[in-house]
Order: sequence, then structure tokens, then C-alpha cells
Amino acid sequence: MSTLHLVRQSAFATNDFAQCLSVFDHQDSIVLMDDGCYSLKHSLMDSLLKRVDGTLNINIIASHAKARAIETMATINHIDMADVVDLTFNHNKVITWQ
Amino acid sequence: MTSIELATSVVLSKECGLAIINSKAPFSSTYGKDALDVALIFGSFEQKVSLFFQGDGVYQLIANQDGRLVSIKDYLKTFSAFEFYDIEDIYVCQQSLVNRQLDEAFHINDVQVLTSIEFGLALNRHQHILRF
Amino acid sequence: MKTLAVVVTTPPYSHLTITALTYVEAALVAGINVIGVFFYQDGAMHANKNISIASDEYQAIEHWQRLHQQYQLPLHICITAAEKRGIACDVIDNNQINKAFTVSGLGELVELTTKASRLVQF
Repeated sequence: MSTLHLVRQSAFATNDFAQCLSVFDHQDSIVLMDDGCYSLKHSLMDSLLKRVDGTLNINIIASHAKARAIETMATINHIDMADVVDLTFNHNKVITWQ
Repeated sequence: MTSIELATSVVLSKECGLAIINSKAPFSSTYGKDALDVALIFGSFEQKVSLFFQGDGVYQLIANQDGRLVSIKDYLKTFSAFEFYDIEDIYVCQQSLVNRQLDEAFHINDVQVLTSIEFGLALNRHQHILRF
Repeated sequence: MKTLAVVVTTPPYSHLTITALTYVEAALVAGINVIGVFFYQDGAMHANKNISIASDEYQAIEHWQRLHQQYQLPLHICITAAEKRGIACDVIDNNQINKAFTVSGLGELVELTTKASRLVQF
């Protein structure tokens, strides 16, 4: 019963990412896209990464991050839209946080 | 548990229907009304739909509101018709209420207040999720 | 069979719509059966033929039209959302509505949701 979470808003602007994390399950995956990419540098992301110790599937759309000059890290998967389509069907459902 | 009971519980636990997450306060935008319209259509087509209230969305459930004071047609009143549309599963995030210093005083009955974990589990019981 | 229904709630001039389009096209290219795109809220503005976006900017409406022609992708606009935004839906042979779009009700969203194995909102 895994969920794919599409995060499209900056965690600095809205509470969406916090709400996403409050229902987040260990089998779920996150995709940061659009302004959601900025959430990579938010303290919520720091604590998430510390908490799960690298076992989580966290992805960022490479072109969306690069366009915004966001420095990414090796623990995050850099993906494209075709990968998002694959992830859609590798999970049972999708929630868009926008 | 007999095999029939087991089979039944498996069927019951299978994800089904639509979950709608309401995340916006009721009056400054039309998100709440737009979500309500979707819920009522699913109800009238006899499709399972459940409503989730999280974040500022919990303000849609709070008692004693009056949109007319700010010239807004009060769509919140329609919430009391949920039972006629067989919309029975209405969940609110307890943490969102606590964060906003809100009591569990709602303008409709049968709202279930859930912890974050329960809220997530309840969401997971649905096949599709929309968020407004 | 992998079936996908997509809900678009952003207007044609929003940069968020580019992401939706890129996603839908990636799904079509991957051979996913995209059974329909439902345009709700500000998404309904896509069907308005009077929208004109500067030619050096992203032409979301043209791209939806292209996907519609190339893949017979069904594009549904919500009638209530459209009328509220000044798109008259009551006359047949309407010059205001882009022909690539079908005027539908929310019932179409119910249909798409029940048929699709995945529903994704943008």
C-alpha cells in the first residue's frame, strides 16, 4: 500500500510538505518537482534524511532542480519525467501536494 | 478465523474509492467548494468517497461560522447533506486542530478525529486521492 | 493494462501546467493508456480560444492540442468551472471553445476515476 508523494510547493512558503510528512509511510516515495525542489534545503528535509538513515526513496526532477540552481546531494535520486511515470505505477497511488 | 471470514476481510481491506483531502480554509478561496462539488458528484454516482480535513482545511468543519457576514454563499451548510449522498467517512487530523487551538466542535456530526498515523492509514485505504 | 487519468487544475499560462504536460507526454511515450485529462478549476481556461499567450512563451494549449491529435488523448473541461470563467458552453458550434476539448460535467471525472488504475492531479 505505498504512496507516491509529488511535492510541488516550497516548504518555506506553505505547510504542504509538513502535511505530506505527517502521513508519510516508510514504503512511500517522494518526488520534489517545481518549487517543491526548494524543500530539499528545508529543515524538515534535514530531519527526514537523518531519521530514515538513507533507506528512503527521495527523488528530485533533475531539470527542475538545475533550472533553480539548487545544489543536490548524492543521497537523492536525480530523475526525469519518464521516471515519474514509472514511479506512478510502482506505487499504489499518488498524492499531489500543491 | 474461517477461510470465508479471512477472504471477506481481505476484500474489505482492499483499497477502494476516492479520498479527498481538504487543505484550505473555507472563505478566501473556492477550493473547499470545488472539493465539495466533486464529493457530491461521486456520492450521487454511488461511488465511495471519503473526506479528509488537514492543515487549514480543518477550518471548514468548525462550528458557528457564518459566510454571509462576508457575503459568501455558505457552502458549508451543504455538509449536513452528506448522509443523503452516503458520504459517511469524514476524518479530521487531530494535530491540525491542536496546532490551531481548536476544540473538537464541528458543525456536522460523525466527524472522526484521527492521530497523524491513523489519518495516514485511513488515506491508504483508498484507491485514488485528490487534494484541494 | 496500465491506465492513467489526469486532473489539471492550473491555467494555461501557469508554469505548473508545463510539468503536467511533460508528465502526460512521458506517459503516452511510455505506452501508458492515458484514458483522459480532466481540466478542473482554473484548468478549464485551457478551452478558451481567446487566450493569447506571447509567441515566445510556452504554448500550453497548442501542446495539449498536439497530444490530442497525435494520441487521440481525450481532453475534458468541466462545464461549471468553464462557465464561471467566462467560457460560454451552452451553444453548439461555439466559436469560443477550442475543438480539441470536450465540454463535460464532473460525472466524467467519476467515470475516469473508476476506470483508471492511477489518478494523478496537477
